Amino acid sequence: MERIDRLVRTWIASEQEQEIEDTVKEIEQGNANLLHVVKSLGEYLTSEEDDLRTKGVEFLSLVIARCPPEKLNRQSVRTLVAFYCGKLEDTETIIPALKGLVTLTKLPLFTSIDAVEVAKALFAHVKMNVLVQSQRFMVFTIIDNLVANQREALKNMGDEFIRGYVGLAEGEKDPRNLLLAFAIDRVLLIEFETTKFIEDFFNITFCYFPITFRPPPNDPYGITTEDLKAALRSCLHATPAFGKLAVPVFLEKLTAGSPVTKKDTLDTLNVCLPVYGRAVVREFARKMWNTLKLEIFQPTDNVTEEKALKTTQVLIQTIYSAAPAEQADDAEIEGLAKEACEECIQILREPEKSQAKHAIKVLCAFMSTTPSVARFTLARAVPHFVKLFYDPDELPNRTPTLRLLADLIEAARESTSHDPEVLPEEGNVPLSPYKDEVIGVLTVGLKTPATAYPAIDALKSMVRTPGLLTDEELGFVVHNVNEVLQQDEDETDLSEVSLDLLCTVSAVAPSHVSGNTLPLLFSALPDRAPPRDADAERIKYWRTLASLKKLCTQPDLFETLVIRLSTKLDLLCVPSPSSTPASAPEDLEPAAAYAHSILKTLADVLSAKIELGHTDVVKYIDRLVPRLYNLFILSALGAEERPMVATDPRLLAVAAQIVTLVTQTLTAARQETFVKSVFAAYVDGDVSQLTQGIQKVPAGRRFSPLQLGASTYQKNLLVLFSAAVIALHKEVTLPVPDEVAFLDGLLQWIVTHAENALQREALMHLIAAVVNRHAEKLEAFLSSNIDGFWTSQIANTSAPPEARRNAISTFTWLTKALLVRGHARATQNVDRLFELFVDEHVSWDAARAVGRIPGTDKVLTKKNHAVLRILYAQKYCNSVLPRIIEGAKVSANSPRQNAYLVALAALIKSVPKSTYVHEMPSLMPLLLRGIDLPDNEIRAGVIDTLHAAAVSSEKDNAIIAEHASSLVSTMLKNSLVSQMPSVRVRVAALRYLAILPSVVRYDVLHPQKATVIRELAKALDDPKRVVRSEAVEARFKFTG
Amino acid sequence: MSSEVFNPNPTIFAPTKSKKSSTYARLHSLWLDDGEHEENDEYDQSDEPETIDQDEIFELIRSISDPEHRSMSLEQLAVVSAPQITFDPKYPDRITVEFTPTVPHCGMSTFIGLSIRVRLLRSLPQRFKIDVRVKPGSHQSEQALNKQLNDKERVAAALENPALLEVLEQCLSTAGRTPHED
Repeated sequence: MERIDRLVRTWIASEQEQEIEDTVKEIEQGNANLLHVVKSLGEYLTSEEDDLRTKGVEFLSLVIARCPPEKLNRQSVRTLVAFYCGKLEDTETIIPALKGLVTLTKLPLFTSIDAVEVAKALFAHVKMNVLVQSQRFMVFTIIDNLVANQREALKNMGDEFIRGYVGLAEGEKDPRNLLLAFAIDRVLLIEFETTKFIEDFFNITFCYFPITFRPPPNDPYGITTEDLKAALRSCLHATPAFGKLAVPVFLEKLTAGSPVTKKDTLDTLNVCLPVYGRAVVREFARKMWNTLKLEIFQPTDNVTEEKALKTTQVLIQTIYSAAPAEQADDAEIEGLAKEACEECIQILREPEKSQAKHAIKVLCAFMSTTPSVARFTLARAVPHFVKLFYDPDELPNRTPTLRLLADLIEAARESTSHDPEVLPEEGNVPLSPYKDEVIGVLTVGLKTPATAYPAIDALKSMVRTPGLLTDEELGFVVHNVNEVLQQDEDETDLSEVSLDLLCTVSAVAPSHVSGNTLPLLFSALPDRAPPRDADAERIKYWRTLASLKKLCTQPDLFETLVIRLSTKLDLLCVPSPSSTPASAPEDLEPAAAYAHSILKTLADVLSAKIELGHTDVVKYIDRLVPRLYNLFILSALGAEERPMVATDPRLLAVAAQIVTLVTQTLTAARQETFVKSVFAAYVDGDVSQLTQGIQKVPAGRRFSPLQLGASTYQKNLLVLFSAAVIALHKEVTLPVPDEVAFLDGLLQWIVTHAENALQREALMHLIAAVVNRHAEKLEAFLSSNIDGFWTSQIANTSAPPEARRNAISTFTWLTKALLVRGHARATQNVDRLFELFVDEHVSWDAARAVGRIPGTDKVLTKKNHAVLRILYAQKYCNSVLPRIIEGAKVSANSPRQNAYLVALAALIKSVPKSTYVHEMPSLMPLLLRGIDLPDNEIRAGVIDTLHAAAVSSEKDNAIIAEHASSLVSTMLKNSLVSQMPSVRVRVAALRYLAILPSVVRYDVLHPQKATVIRELAKALDDPKRVVRSEAVEARFKFTG
Repeated sequence: MSSEVFNPNPTIFAPTKSKKSSTYARLHSLWLDDGEHEENDEYDQSDEPETIDQDEIFELIRSISDPEHRSMSLEQLAVVSAPQITFDPKYPDRITVEFTPTVPHCGMSTFIGLSIRVRLLRSLPQRFKIDVRVKPGSHQSEQALNKQLNDKERVAAALENPALLEVLEQCLSTAGRTPHED
């Protein structure tokens, strides 16, 4: 007790935190209670001196705020409430008293009687306009606590409470307080009897609409405009009673407001209208529509237009979503929907005009309102369009008419397909009553190219509307679209969209497409390749194949495609035994090109199917792959006697692509058996398991591509050997006794037997793939065999440079395979390449290799099941890039520096931008020097890199600005045909110039503007069209 | 600029597609383009010059904005079209560009003509001499217009007017390429 006395006295004198804490501690420990505190405070609480009274109450409030709630009993709460309410009268103690009440109103022992007392005291004594923000905040907090905990008691206070609250809330301006006030408003509006006071509430809420508050920079309270908007909006739609008062306000804001206000108003209307209810909305319907119409037909911007359409939808929904009983009878739609609809139809009588576009948007919006309005809209609009279409005076306007109809049908589709699981009942699709006449119009539309586009779009929407078209009607559509496809002689996008429509049909009813369209297309494919000079026929089969490619991803259709095309391929590539081989030497190239196109079609469809995740790809390891091997092995063996079509390397490349694609999809177990049959053929010469076909591989001939003395044709087939191996899972072991010996054999084969790049690359890929999967068991190969290879084939300066270059690319592939899986040897290999930078013959090749190693390729990919470590390129760059920069700096002006620059150019081209972007300041001078290297390929690459870096950089790029003048002059030099023969470099340089004005501040470029514009005038007269177009663009950017 | 609206609800035409060469293969090739080529193959490396033609010039002016309906291009309103661009058979450097105002009383015609002229001035080599004219019979004051548009002095004077120039630059700002065409 004495201690409390002392603490109180000390605090009154010093106002230190410590005393409060000590007092609370005393109470917590039971050494004192609140009574003691009050007693000790006695003299201060009643002191004549204003200052002491304030301090006395303040101390008490501070202690209560910290005091654990269980130390307060019912009696003390009661006493304290009465005490504080009394203190509210006293202007000197009102502030600490509010503080005390904030604490008390939260307590569980605070009862309804207290609540009423506190509320009354607040209303009687608190004058909000004399309090500062934080004090008003306490008042709102107290009321918020009361509303949260003692709602019933307040309700029983009736009008007195509401009136009192409105008095307090009026005129509040601070966003922190408003957030609380809005929350309280909403509860009162929803739960309390506020009818009498609705105008007061309207005044204390709508006066804040629209919120224009913008938080000050570094706002410590973190209240955003959005918070306030949301809180206010929740009040505005809290009660239907606001309706009559609110709508005129909204309309006024919509007419006169800024674009931001307009958007806010529209969003708010969307939530408010359904609450305000049908009666109110109906009353204002006409006015609202007139205002919304302006926003739709003369939109300030797209977003506002869209929001206005949305609000129109809500408006219609609110008026017409009546009780189900009313909905059942198809009563004639009256009122706004009818008027608005007729207004739009009136505008749509001129479908070619710009206003028609807006009018159709309104009707489309109507489709997603209520079923009755949707039906009504269709009943008015569809016959209107049909009539317009057949009107001979409107013949020139058929295209826009169909476009509008297509939009409407698409909107109708969107309104029905909310739930794909539930099929609508027969005939319950809104468009059903009109589908015959619509299909009629659309099929007429298909006949001319201009109208065919919208007609196809409309048909597509119809096909995609569940439950609309019958199977027979789908057949009819397919039949008509087939005609479009056949008539489209010049290459237009029309075939493209027709095929798109057919694809849509084939998703729901493949039989129509496979039964009608496919035979048509297959019969258009010739059996023999058109001769060399028959360009038109060739383009025709290309187009047919392109159509097939687009259509045949669906499993059933693809199966047909594979059968038909592989048969065609056999016919084309294997001459029938009856034809005499002795006849005049044929020109085989057209046939090869045709076969290539066929194979390419198959590969493209396969790859599309894999993208789509189709599971039927797997079965083509038995149906397609053996036929391909059969064809190519047969051809290679046959070619030793007479020319064969299927020996062309380009055909092999596509066939390899197909084999790899199919292999990718197999399980490890299936791959294992497949790879066994492949090795049986390539290593042991037993082709029986791998091949399958009508024309058998002759038994007498031996297939042995890896053996000494094999023909070039056989050796080229290693491409298909590699294709089977590069997509293997890492669990699959190769069916050879010793992988190390096998790989070393292949490595030696590349050096000694390979005749061309095709064969070399095939084996490099194969070795890289195996090393990548099985590096851990191949330690011996990676150390001693590779060492030997390096010393004898690459480091050996007496070897011919060409051979060393080939060896470097083999070495690059090996290193790549190791790098992507994060193997330590990769780094050692790269170190070796750096040593070659001083070599006089192969320094650039080594430099390019250093740069290309981390680049992506088509062999070591995730799809091919390669072992990949994430961020390998990043890690590589982190270690190699500084080394290159350092090397380039140290070796300034020596041939070695060029090698570093070449490595740099190659590296940044092959890695993601993020890996080197932080080094840009030190790279820039080097890259500028790279543009001067005497190699156009490198120059263009460097300029492209600079371009990519500039595009992604933020505005006011300091590095570019620093080098701007040298960049501009270098690029100008490279953009004129008189100084730069390469089109590619000229285009790249001009593209770079075009981007400069948008990444560098104007004042940086200003000194050179005149020069650039003058020089570019010359580029405008470039002999090449692509260059001219870039020059126009660059000059345009500099003039603007 | 006067605030009078000359044609509040103009007719819109579908834009024609830019002409593209065959997508399947390079011309006169037996082989289908299989997408496996290095990127430098994308340019025809032959030295054969390609001359500036009607389509290339049309490409330059088609997307200039209409001064009255800024969201629409001259092409969409059929003010300009490729066939309306003609070369003088005797002097290949002389070009006539004809345009069609949407209504015969259109007060913006001079301005449209000016924007076409300026765009071509900036985008074509200096050796070209360009005539900009309205389509015969499509405007009330056809002769005055043509005279004004091809008078060097008056064109230069118009470009000295900062207010006019600002609107002009706005209309031309859409003439460059849009991102999706890249």
